[in-house]
Amino acid sequence: MSSEFLVAALAVLAGLVPCGVVCLRGDPVNRLVGLEMAGTVDTLVLLLLAQAYHRAIYFDLALALALLSFAGGMVFARFLERWI
Amino acid sequence: MSPRGLLVAVLLVVGVGVTLASCVGVLVMRDAYDRLHYTAPATTIAPLAIAAAIVLEERLSAAGVKALLVALALLVTNPVLTHATARAARIRQLGEWTVQEGEHVKGERP
Repeated sequence: MSSEFLVAALAVLAGLVPCGVVCLRGDPVNRLVGLEMAGTVDTLVLLLLAQAYHRAIYFDLALALALLSFAGGMVFARFLERWI
Repeated sequence: MSPRGLLVAVLLVVGVGVTLASCVGVLVMRDAYDRLHYTAPATTIAPLAIAAAIVLEERLSAAGVKALLVALALLVTNPVLTHATARAARIRQLGEWTVQEGEHVKGERP
């Protein structure tokens, strides 16, 4: 286990707090921006944790989250544009 | 500390700092358009810095290549997402727009 990557992961994790606050306030589009930012931060945390634990297989988790948070954001944007 | 270890530490500090600054920017801006700007550094500079740090540690092993792949995925997908979100915000604000009779729009057939 490498400590500098673990410390970096914990530091980036603190960035979820402002994203969560944005998700709780304002109109739906502002909340969506907060959600997208939280997805990015989560991806970076998983990337750093995978290196901290020295498991090559954990990197797949970060890759899956990066692609799925993109798909989720697109679906939300489309819904906000048309129906909600 | 070896030069390589120092470089890894510097890259990690850059990645973490840029991400936290972007999060604070998203929090303090006023509307969705301003907020969207602050998602860009966290998906360009930060993943590249972190992936570079991982490649320096692991060389181009499976872990290094996958880290670069994650950075590339964020780099390619986020501009599309930003565009779609800004478009949704504009349509919610002003309604769907179409080209009017006699109006000429660049790239659009009259």
